[in-house]
Amino acid sequence: MSTVSRVARRVETIPFLEKRDVSLLFVLPGLFVFTAFMLFPVVYLVGISLTNADPASLFAGEGAASVLTFGEATFVGLENYVSVLTDTQFWNSFGITWLFVATSVVLKIGLSLGIALVVTSDRVRGKRLMRSFVILPMGLPAIFTVTVWRGIFSSAEFGLANQLLSALDLGTVSWLSGRWSAFFAYNITEAWLAYPFMVIITVSALQDVPGELHEAAKVDGAGYVARFVHVTLPSVKRPVLFASILTAAASFQQFLIPYVFNQGGPARANELIVVYGYREALSFAEYGRGAAISLVAVVFIGAFMWLNVKRGRLADGVAEQ
Amino acid sequence: MSLLDGIGRRLKANARSLALRPLEAARDAAYTANGVRRGEISPLEPLKTVGATLGALLVVLLLLFPIYWILTAALSSSGGSIYSSGGLALLPENPSLQPFLWVVGDLAVPGYTISLNVPLTDLALVIDTPEFVMLDVSQYGVANPSGFKGFLWNSLTVAIPTVVIAMALVVPAAYALSRREFILRRKVLFVYVLMTQVGGGLGVALLIGLYTVYVQFGINDSKLALALYYAATAVPFNTWLLKTYMDGIPVSYEEAAVVDGAPPWRVVTEVIIPLSTAGLATVFIFTFLTGWTEFVVAQTLLGTENYTLPVGLYSLISEYSIPWARFSAFALTFATPIMLVYLFAQRYIEGGLSFSGMEG
Repeated sequence: MSTVSRVARRVETIPFLEKRDVSLLFVLPGLFVFTAFMLFPVVYLVGISLTNADPASLFAGEGAASVLTFGEATFVGLENYVSVLTDTQFWNSFGITWLFVATSVVLKIGLSLGIALVVTSDRVRGKRLMRSFVILPMGLPAIFTVTVWRGIFSSAEFGLANQLLSALDLGTVSWLSGRWSAFFAYNITEAWLAYPFMVIITVSALQDVPGELHEAAKVDGAGYVARFVHVTLPSVKRPVLFASILTAAASFQQFLIPYVFNQGGPARANELIVVYGYREALSFAEYGRGAAISLVAVVFIGAFMWLNVKRGRLADGVAEQ
Repeated sequence: MSLLDGIGRRLKANARSLALRPLEAARDAAYTANGVRRGEISPLEPLKTVGATLGALLVVLLLLFPIYWILTAALSSSGGSIYSSGGLALLPENPSLQPFLWVVGDLAVPGYTISLNVPLTDLALVIDTPEFVMLDVSQYGVANPSGFKGFLWNSLTVAIPTVVIAMALVVPAAYALSRREFILRRKVLFVYVLMTQVGGGLGVALLIGLYTVYVQFGINDSKLALALYYAATAVPFNTWLLKTYMDGIPVSYEEAAVVDGAPPWRVVTEVIIPLSTAGLATVFIFTFLTGWTEFVVAQTLLGTENYTLPVGLYSLISEYSIPWARFSAFALTFATPIMLVYLFAQRYIEGGLSFSGMEG
C-alpha cells in the first residue's frame, strides 16, 4: 500500500495529473510495447522509403548506431515515391487490389447472407447444430485453410477442383497459371475464409428482426421475396454493412492467399498491394521501393478505416462508456 | 478446478440435449403425421419442411467439403484422389494411418548414462537408464519421418513466452480500463478498438521495417524476440476483450469486499481474478494461438532450424508435386487441436465479435 500511495502522491505533484491517474501506469506497459512494435516500424519505414536502401547498404553497419543512420544507405528524397507512382507495375497491383476488394466483398456478402437465411429459416430443422458446423472454418488457422485451398486448386496430380471438373467431363484447368483463373481462385478462397465471420453477424441480426413485422407483411399478402426485400433487408442492413466494411479492409490487406497460391503470379499479374510491397523489398532487394509501396498501402488502409469509423460510427460503444 | 467443473457440467448438459433431440424430433413427426391424417395440417407443409431441411443440409455439407476432402486424403495411403476409375469415390479405397505415422515419427526416450561420483573416493555410481520406445515408425514402413516434432518444439517455445508476456501486459491494463477512470482512458480504448480491426494487415505492411530493425539488432532469428512481437500485436484485441468481460462483473461485489475491509490488492486477487476466470482463459487461448498459427512474420524472420509449425506446413507444398497424404496428415495434426479448443471457446469468440462495435 505504502508504495502505491507514495507513487500517487508523486503523481499529484505533476501538473495536469490527478491522484486517480496512477491507474494509467497499469495501461502504459501494454501501450508502450504495442507502440514500440507498431509505431516504430512505421517511422522506420518512412525513413527507409526516403533512402536507396538495399541489403548491402542497409545492413552495412553494426549495432544500434547503424539503425539510426540506415546503415550506409543514402538519402534520395522522394525519388522512390516518384518511381513507384510512375510504375505501371504499381498501378496494376493497385487496380487488381481494388478489383479483388470489390469482387470478394460482393461474393462474401452474397454467400453469407444466403447461408444465414438458410440456417435461420423456420422450415429447417436442426438449425442450431447446422449453425455451429457452418462456422467451423473460423476455428481453423488461416495458414491451414490457405494451404489446403492451394492444394484444391493445384494442378499437380489432380487437385480437388480439377478432379471435380474431370468427373463432370469438363477437362482440367491449370488454375494458378492463368491470370483470371488464379484471381477466381483467390476470390473463392477469400470467401470461404471470411464467411463464418459474416454469417455470425448476419445471423444475430436476422434473429433480431421482430417476428411481428413478418406476420404483418404476411397478413398484407406479401410473398417471400417481397418480405425479404421490404422487411428483412432493411432490418439487417446496418450490421451487414458493418461486417462488410471490416471484411473489405481484410480483403484489401490480403497477403496469405496470393503469397501461398503463386506468389502473386503468374508473372506478378496478381500481386495484391501488400504482396507487391513485400516482394519488392524481400524478394527483389529494393527496400526503399518496398517501403514506399507499403506506406502507400498503409495510408490507404488508414484512410479507409478512418472514413468508416467516422461515417459508420464504429466506435460508438467507446464513446458511450 | 471450478472452471473444469463448469466445462464438465456444460458438456453433460449438451450431451443430454443432443441425446434427447431424436426423441423430440420423433414426437414432433408423430404429431404432424397425426395432424395430416386427421386433415388438420395440409400434407404440403411437412413436405416443405423436409425439403428445406435437406436443402440446408446439402449447403452445410458442400461448405464443409474441403475439410472432409483433406481428411480422406490423409487416410488414403496413396494420395488423396476422390476421382478413381469407378467415378467419384467418397471413401478412400485402402485407408491407412501411415501418413500420420510419418508426421509423428519415432516416439522414444533415448537411454542416458548417469554417473554419480561418490564423494571422497574414486568410485562412481553409473546408471544406464533403459531406452523407452513407444513407437518405432520404421516397423510400419515409414523411412524418413517428418520434422514435425522439431517444428512443434519451436512452436511451443514461441507460443509459451508469447502467452506469458501478453498476459502480463493485458491483465493489469484490462482491469484499469474497466474499473478506473483516468486521463487518456477513452483515447487508449479508441486506439485499441481501431487496432483490433486493422492490426493483421498492418503487420505485413510494416514487416519490412520490422525485419530490417531485427536484422540490424541481430535478433531476427531469435524465438524470444518473435514472441515479444506477437505479444505486442495481441495487446489491443485481448485487452479490449478482457476489459469487456470485467465490465460484466458487478461492482457491488467489490464494494462488499471493501466494506469488509479488504485492501485494493485483495479486492483484485479475491474478487476480480476469480470471477474473470473464463475471460482469462479466453485471452490465454487467443494469445497462445497468435504465436501458434502466425505464418508470415515467422517465415520472414526465422531461420530453417527455427521454423514453427505453420512454416513447416508451408514448406511441404511445391508447384508440381504435392505429397497429398502426408501434407493432409500434417495439416490435420496441426489444425485439429486448435479446432477443438475453438469449439470450446466458441461462445466467447462469438461474444467477442458481437461486442467489437455492434453493441459497444
